[in-house]
Amino acid sequence: MRKLLVIGVLVGVFACLSAPAVAAPLRVQVVAEPARVETVLGGRFVITTEVRNTGAAATGDILAHLNVASIEGTVYVDPEDWSPSRSQQLSLKPGESRKLSWELQAVNSGHFAAYVVIVPFGSTVAGNEELLISPLVDVAVASRSTLTAQGALPIVLSVPLLLGLAAAGVYFGARRRGSKR
Amino acid sequence: MTLQVAPPAVGTRQDVQAGEGQPGWLVVAQQECRDLWTSGRGLILLFLFSVLLSAVTYLTSTNQALNFLEQRESVNLVLQFAVAVGVLATLVVGADGISGERERGTLETLLVTPVARRSIIVGKLIAALTLWFATFGVSIPYLWVLGREVGILGPALVLGFGVGTLLAVGLGSIGLLISAACNSNKTSIAASIFLLLILFAPTQLPSGLPQGWFFEVLLRANPVASGLAYISALLVEGHAWTQDLSYLITPLLTAIIAGSALIFAGPQLVRLTRGVNAG
Repeated sequence: MRKLLVIGVLVGVFACLSAPAVAAPLRVQVVAEPARVETVLGGRFVITTEVRNTGAAATGDILAHLNVASIEGTVYVDPEDWSPSRSQQLSLKPGESRKLSWELQAVNSGHFAAYVVIVPFGSTVAGNEELLISPLVDVAVASRSTLTAQGALPIVLSVPLLLGLAAAGVYFGARRRGSKR
Repeated sequence: MTLQVAPPAVGTRQDVQAGEGQPGWLVVAQQECRDLWTSGRGLILLFLFSVLLSAVTYLTSTNQALNFLEQRESVNLVLQFAVAVGVLATLVVGADGISGERERGTLETLLVTPVARRSIIVGKLIAALTLWFATFGVSIPYLWVLGREVGILGPALVLGFGVGTLLAVGLGSIGLLISAACNSNKTSIAASIFLLLILFAPTQLPSGLPQGWFFEVLLRANPVASGLAYISALLVEGHAWTQDLSYLITPLLTAIIAGSALIFAGPQLVRLTRGVNAG
């Protein structure tokens, strides 16, 4: 009976140790604006998100992370190209809110979603925490022909042609002068 | 080089209001430029360079898969080509400056003209720098085609000219110093090109490689790599002008130290020694 009791206690202790720690869920609200951005390829724009702690406890360290995804067609998106600085670390007291600005440049044309994810940050992160996501910002990027073969052709042909003619003229002129002497 | 100057008055010590009251360095620079440009050597180099830039620009313009940022990278690529070729040309012409005269047996003639040795060196450096300025001039139309609609034409021109001129002055001076120290033109040019290859090698390393403090030290100690890194940081990564100014310390120091060494040590370096082809 005593052995059974010890085994039971040990099993209970191990069960407690091996169970994943359940962190208190983040009570944070994220609002993004504007809801829609229309721009042209290469255009720069700013998205603002407001993160508010709606819980009764401080959030601890949290990370707001911007992401961009294509929501139409098969455009490959590298979010790093859109914004070189996509993470901002913050910590909010109960009721506190913070506005975060995200500077972006449209490097692909098409239809995209930009959104901010709130992620717990630091060594206390245990896994399985829920993520909080802002409403998406609809980004429409119109294409524009920045560079075409027809546009480049006059320069591509004329510069070597002119320099080649000048080099040939000078070279043969120098040889003719040399042979006369 | 055959320098055409008025004979000096008896007892006149060098320098020189040679020719028509012009300073000696200007006379040397003009004569060197004439040799370089009217022989066709400079123009042939520019022609080959323009063919290379035309190929790069045409391939970039036909590639419709390039995104906006990759187009900025192509502006950066053309600018780096311009700086690399311009600096290489300046270095090679500088490397031919003294050892070439020695080898062709024309240094003695040059030294008996009423031009100070320092003026000879300065004139030769200026003539070598004209190749850099011409190379940069040729690249302007290509930079305009690639960069006009991505909003970086102005910064690309200012950056390329500034950083390229610093590098050209520094490496052109080093080329002349090497040339003055060598009796053989082949040795001088080979040593200069080898030096340039060493300096350009780090710029070709893949950007994904792990880059620790040692890599950073090597990058910053290398005037070419740090100058090109500054250009890339501004044009491609969109950094502010002042954010990476420390990258310009080495190119600036190289230009100051090598330029000063050339000007102050020049009179001792430009001397007659037996060239390898000289009898």
